[in-house]
Amino acid sequence: MKRRSFLLGGLASAGLRAAGGPDPGFRLADITRAAGLDFRHNSGAFGAKYLPETLGPGCAFLDFDGDGLLDILILNGSDWPGHGRGGGAGLRLYRNNGNGTFTDVTQKAGLAVPLYGMGVAVGDFNNDGFPDIYVTAVGQSRLFQNTGKGTFVDVTQKSGLGGRTGLSTSALWFDYDRDGLLDLFVCNYVQWSADHDVFCSVDGKNKSYCTPEAYHGSTCWLFRNRGNGTFEDVTAKSGIFDTSSKSLGVAMLDMGGDGWPDLFVANDTQPNKLYRNQKNGTFEDIAVQAGVAFSDDGKARAGMGVDVADFDNSGTAGIAITNFDDEMMALYHAGKNGAFVDVAGRAGISVPSRRRLGFGCCFADMNLDGHLDLVAVNGHIDETVRNIAGNHGYAQAPHLFLNDGHGGFRDVATEVGGGFATPRVGRGLAYGDIDGDGDVDLLLTTNGGPAYLYRNDVAAGAKSLRLKLRGVKSNREAIGAVVRVTTAEGTQSRMVKTGSSYLSQSELALTFGLGKRDRAERVVVQWPSGGVQEFKGVAAGRFELVEGGRLG
Amino acid sequence: MSKLNRPSPTIRLLAGLAVTLLAVGVYSTYTFVQLGALRQLQTETIDRNRRDSLLLLRIQNGLNAVALAMRDMLDTEALAEGPQYPLAAWKPQFRRLRTDLEDALRQERRVSVRATASGQDQYLVDSFRQFWDALDRMFERSEVSEGEARTAIRLSLQARHAAISTAVARLLIQNNESEQEAQARTSQIYRGVQLNVFVFLAAMVIVIVLTSLYLVQYNRRLFHKVEEFSERRSELAQQLIGMQESAFASISRELHDDFGQILTAIGVMLQRADRKAGDLLEVREVVQATLDKVRALSRALHPVVLDEIGLEGAFDDYLPEFEKRTGIEIYYEKCGVARELDREVTIHLYRIMQEALNNVAKHSGSKSARVMLDYATEAVTLEIEDQGRGLGKITGGLGMVSMRERAGMVHGKIEFLEPESGGARVRVTIPLKDNYAG
Repeated sequence: MKRRSFLLGGLASAGLRAAGGPDPGFRLADITRAAGLDFRHNSGAFGAKYLPETLGPGCAFLDFDGDGLLDILILNGSDWPGHGRGGGAGLRLYRNNGNGTFTDVTQKAGLAVPLYGMGVAVGDFNNDGFPDIYVTAVGQSRLFQNTGKGTFVDVTQKSGLGGRTGLSTSALWFDYDRDGLLDLFVCNYVQWSADHDVFCSVDGKNKSYCTPEAYHGSTCWLFRNRGNGTFEDVTAKSGIFDTSSKSLGVAMLDMGGDGWPDLFVANDTQPNKLYRNQKNGTFEDIAVQAGVAFSDDGKARAGMGVDVADFDNSGTAGIAITNFDDEMMALYHAGKNGAFVDVAGRAGISVPSRRRLGFGCCFADMNLDGHLDLVAVNGHIDETVRNIAGNHGYAQAPHLFLNDGHGGFRDVATEVGGGFATPRVGRGLAYGDIDGDGDVDLLLTTNGGPAYLYRNDVAAGAKSLRLKLRGVKSNREAIGAVVRVTTAEGTQSRMVKTGSSYLSQSELALTFGLGKRDRAERVVVQWPSGGVQEFKGVAAGRFELVEGGRLG
Repeated sequence: MSKLNRPSPTIRLLAGLAVTLLAVGVYSTYTFVQLGALRQLQTETIDRNRRDSLLLLRIQNGLNAVALAMRDMLDTEALAEGPQYPLAAWKPQFRRLRTDLEDALRQERRVSVRATASGQDQYLVDSFRQFWDALDRMFERSEVSEGEARTAIRLSLQARHAAISTAVARLLIQNNESEQEAQARTSQIYRGVQLNVFVFLAAMVIVIVLTSLYLVQYNRRLFHKVEEFSERRSELAQQLIGMQESAFASISRELHDDFGQILTAIGVMLQRADRKAGDLLEVREVVQATLDKVRALSRALHPVVLDEIGLEGAFDDYLPEFEKRTGIEIYYEKCGVARELDREVTIHLYRIMQEALNNVAKHSGSKSARVMLDYATEAVTLEIEDQGRGLGKITGGLGMVSMRERAGMVHGKIEFLEPESGGARVRVTIPLKDNYAG
């Protein structure tokens, strides 16, 4: 196992800790260029200021060829019809060479498809061991089936997902009916088409990007996997249908720990939705009752990205949501009676996030101390933001909130190096261990700019337990499985999940920080099928667990 | 001391204080009552009204969402390509809206300050119930025929929706009106309080001014009286001293002129008969002693030397005698050019000198004293100084009073000092006639 580490001693105390507080315990290195990641986002903007131009792109970590190395998928926009050169590939696939470099294999993989790409959800819907890709787009979104030979086939029409257009954003794969087959949830933003664009203006003369209020809402979609390669639209039947929604982010969670996956949908200027699984194929929105529909002052915020995780190691998952500037991020902690409480202020997240417009956000244990940290990328919608009162900047620095393990978070973006705190027009964000050193690295995309790959170098001695699950009775990727790892310090819990963040997807393998410990006392795996497995005294390292099998 | 011929102001002042306190009490009570009314108006009416308006806005928002949902249900030509969802798909959306609206309505009725008898609430509740009933019927019908259901939306639901929306708008306007009313009442209360403050302050100012004027006037009279008394007393004392001096002077003259002459004559006669009788020698000695005593008494009562040889002569005469009598050493110095002084001035200066030296002998315990007489251009100054115990308690004695009165009688100034070196110093400064006469 390769492990990049650095000595904390002399270097750390020298000058990097000027911001106060202890050393973050890790450094980030910008390896975009070294890795050969030559991506540049094309929003297609030509002056007409079409709404979708401001939204993308998303990105994902996946192992499409099954070689155990995380590959990278980044979505792209394209020129609008009749402008520029017209068209352009809507996504790029970069294969991990295993030596720190990546190769663009889009063409070879058969993904050089013209489309205006937005987000992505990666999941093995046919349980063949190779992850398939659902790409959301402006217009018709696509499902690409992995052939297992390094190539993909567009099965949109064949699977019954064709014949519908929209401004689709985030998506996720989950098995809501627990039949062992991944179903698909797709967020739609608003009803928009270039032909019926609305004129909005800040100064009364020049067109600017419209706020979502200018457009009709659009329902999200839920597709049930029939198991024969086709999907059934159960949007109406399941109670998901809602024409008022303007959805941008979606995350799965298991409220009450009943094993049935629930959904949280972040809506822009509309109340957020918390769909509770009724265990009979339907969902009920309990967002208002649970206190997550509106901000504490009763206003529907402009929710963008969302992630759900047990950030306080309490055993129940909390919710982080990125919002518009002046709205602050939300950090919901699950209370005893099922209602959520926004603890962003108490946790020290409100004030730093007040002047930023956030998009992608992920809980990830960056320094492997056993406490989930919170990463969020920021950037404004409109480059003319300078002309608007209360200028908070178009390009904005990302947040890297370090969890102190006592309910407090501290933004250490400026302390971790690599130019991570450089202001950018951030959108997508995903994490994954690209170099197999046991910590999670970061991938972030920018609107109209490059994507950035950051290698994480944790301080020497910090160990992790990484777990990749393979379902047998459950869906093949064990999406929805919950793993609890107990050390002397407490119990961390994580769910195997797609979706989350914004338009993006992180790796499915779970990372548990053990700090300086060599082993975990107990590891409990709760499979989506309902089975539970328990292991004692698991050493730090990387494991693959097949449902019902042995660890290691 | 005799009582002032006006009564003491204490009673009047106490009465004034009582009236003032009463006024403050009445005013405070009134103000508190007014403020209480204001607070009640604000919490009871204005705050509740505002919250009610917010809830009505929330209801109006919900109605908007209902309208949008109905629009979407009728909108069969969607912008995007996709499946046509059955009308039944909207059920959860409406269920959510209904929950939200009913909650808002419940809260609104709780907060509202409308009279329950107004019937508007009942109308609103009935209208909503009819709307939800019609909605349920529409969903039922949609299972049979979507077209008919859409017609029901257009004909029944939208009309009912418009009616509810109008009713809510009417309530909002009503709230606004009652808020304006409350506003008017508030400003009326404020005006009343303002006037009260004004009246109260004016009354307070008047009371303060009157009291002050009364006290000033009273004090002025008091000072005037005191001054009068003091003058009268001083006059009396001076008259007394004057009378005493003139009495002493006439007795002294009698003693000197008459008894002196007689005794001198007897002495001469006895001298001539010297040789004849030895007994007569004894008589002559008795006569001589009597003569000396008479002379001394005469000088003591009125220093004739003053009239004969002036102040300095009198000093030269008296000081050695004093030294001999008391054993206190006297250092006598004179400054300036001697001038002829008023008779009055000389007698009083002389007497002050005598009194001061008597004090030295009686109280100071000093072995020596210094007497200084200084003629300056505009005043004559006399200083008597000793090295004794200082003034101590004797400052209020009769001797001091007579010294002060004597100085006063000739427009002079007397000072009783205690120099840092110890002892006591009496200083009399008497302006010369040219200076004070004018």
